Amino acid sequence: MPFFEFITPLFLLLIVGGTFVGVIFGAIPGMTATMAVAVCLPLTYPLGLENGLALLLGLYVGGISGGLVPAILLNIPGTPSSITTTFDGYPMTQKGEGEKALKIGICASFAGGIISLIALYLFAPALADFAIRFSYVEKFLIILFALSVMGALSTNMLIGIFSGFLGIFISLIGTYDISSGGNGKHRLIPSGLEYWLDSGFSLLPVLIGIFGLSAILQQAEAGMPPGLSRDKVRIGKSSKFSFSIFKGQVLNVIRSSGIGTFVGILPGVGGSAASILAYTNAKTFSKNPENFGKGEPAGIIASESGNNGLTGGALVPLLSLGIPGDSTTALLIGAFTLQGIQVGPLFIGNNPETWTAMIFAMLIANIVMFVMMFYAIRYVALIVTIPKHILFPIILMMCVIGAYTINYGIMFDVWTLLIFGLFGWLALKIRLEIAPFIIGFILGPSAEIYFVKSLESFGDLSIFFTKSWIAVLLWFLILGSIAGSAFISSKAREAE
Amino acid sequence: MGELTKVTIDFQSSHLLFPIIIGCVLAVLGLAIVVRERSRITTSGSHWRRIFTQMDKFRFFGTLALTLAYFSLMVPVGDFWPNTGLGFLFCSIPFVFLAGLLFMHVWTARSVLVLATVAVLVPSLIWWLFTEVFFLTLP
Repeated sequence: MPFFEFITPLFLLLIVGGTFVGVIFGAIPGMTATMAVAVCLPLTYPLGLENGLALLLGLYVGGISGGLVPAILLNIPGTPSSITTTFDGYPMTQKGEGEKALKIGICASFAGGIISLIALYLFAPALADFAIRFSYVEKFLIILFALSVMGALSTNMLIGIFSGFLGIFISLIGTYDISSGGNGKHRLIPSGLEYWLDSGFSLLPVLIGIFGLSAILQQAEAGMPPGLSRDKVRIGKSSKFSFSIFKGQVLNVIRSSGIGTFVGILPGVGGSAASILAYTNAKTFSKNPENFGKGEPAGIIASESGNNGLTGGALVPLLSLGIPGDSTTALLIGAFTLQGIQVGPLFIGNNPETWTAMIFAMLIANIVMFVMMFYAIRYVALIVTIPKHILFPIILMMCVIGAYTINYGIMFDVWTLLIFGLFGWLALKIRLEIAPFIIGFILGPSAEIYFVKSLESFGDLSIFFTKSWIAVLLWFLILGSIAGSAFISSKAREAE
Repeated sequence: MGELTKVTIDFQSSHLLFPIIIGCVLAVLGLAIVVRERSRITTSGSHWRRIFTQMDKFRFFGTLALTLAYFSLMVPVGDFWPNTGLGFLFCSIPFVFLAGLLFMHVWTARSVLVLATVAVLVPSLIWWLFTEVFFLTLP
């Protein structure tokens, strides 16, 4: 069957390897799925698109799932998205039910991943078919909507929107590209840097700096907390795991996975929001809400199916609209860029084999994650003891390779890595929002083209309000998200 | 009203249109943030003092210094053996070792020996993989 030619031993090996490395990154506090993808991105260059995506999607699924290990065993979320797993997972470990809690979390992660994969398979092509009809006006408004949603869901709406626009502004540094209809002139380039910034800051060094180097700087600032010794990792198996625990939890799994998928579809909203929403809902609908936070399996199920539900959901806007659903999928854009492929409404139709390969890779990655973690959980738990003083220097070295090789050997890209590593560290201190910044940076050049070309074509600003019913709907959604956020924050202030 | 919304774009200056609009939006948002967060901004001195007090200065600035040295030396060292990627290899080995020592909390002969072995083996393996297998350029 020629359509499945991509399924080769290498393809399968890369998924297994990617998932394994992803679990390691997810399980070590301070390292994330995003960092795993950032560090391994340069490896995809010689692998080709399908094989490269197999590796990256394995890393993504493994990275999100691995976070449950330290969350349950040590009360430290391995990734931000497993924060709510600590609420019930760690109390179970304290009761000597660590292994049972881990296996509940692994099963829930698997269910969440599969449900979100089904959603991806059904929704992405439908949304892409719909989005093909969009003109530059609607495409510009979609980007504006993405930024407004991200701003609205930020801790501080104003700062969230500001961060998104700052990302756009920095992305405009360089030449107004002739191949995109621009006039080929420079703008916003500091004097003396014209040669280096002719094409602006490259996307991947920026992403690797913000997600790789800045995480290392944060760890260094915190004194690089040492790894744990083996005797401190007590898995505990006083109570046996049984699949009957999931009896009566089917609705919880489906609801939490659905919430995760929906949150994933919203641009720039991370896994922590997915798991918190899923956990809160599970508690609200539970017959025993008082048990939550004291070692209730339903809490782990909600949290883990919620955060793994994000994996498929976050790919929906990426593959149908070209807008990343979270920071990890933003990095996947880098893999497509490396292979010269643009993601957007035409992607699925023009690249059916790549689309099928992605679905297969996600499916296999979820199965590998389940088998690997479920049957070898006692060994997987030991990942948290890997010393950071060995891992972090190697990660920084890999960041350098990623930045340097992206444009076939330009040292300025390595300095870009340092500049944006420091920026990422500083942004946390001054409470800038990283996710909107990244999405703004990625979508800025497209936003410019859509905006300017719309005006050049129609010569009238009102076109953004009158082009179609979709444009009107998008304005309602933009204003609704901002007004909703403003209302919620004013209520919160009143409550204080 | 119809005339007010009409826009003519001069192609020669079209590269500045969007940056100016975004710059204006940023200025307005920045002003709004300053007004709304003025109390927090005026007390930001204590925020930064707390950050610097709690910071592990040795490891943080040590990481920055090592990274700067690593990035700065790669090309000059690589120029001795052009197009071989050896600048990367010969700078990565001491970088991984020194950064590992910096991040290590308790130095024992065994842990330093393990680190030294890793510092030689991993960069060598990565260098071999990228230059000999993937044929990618390294500094």
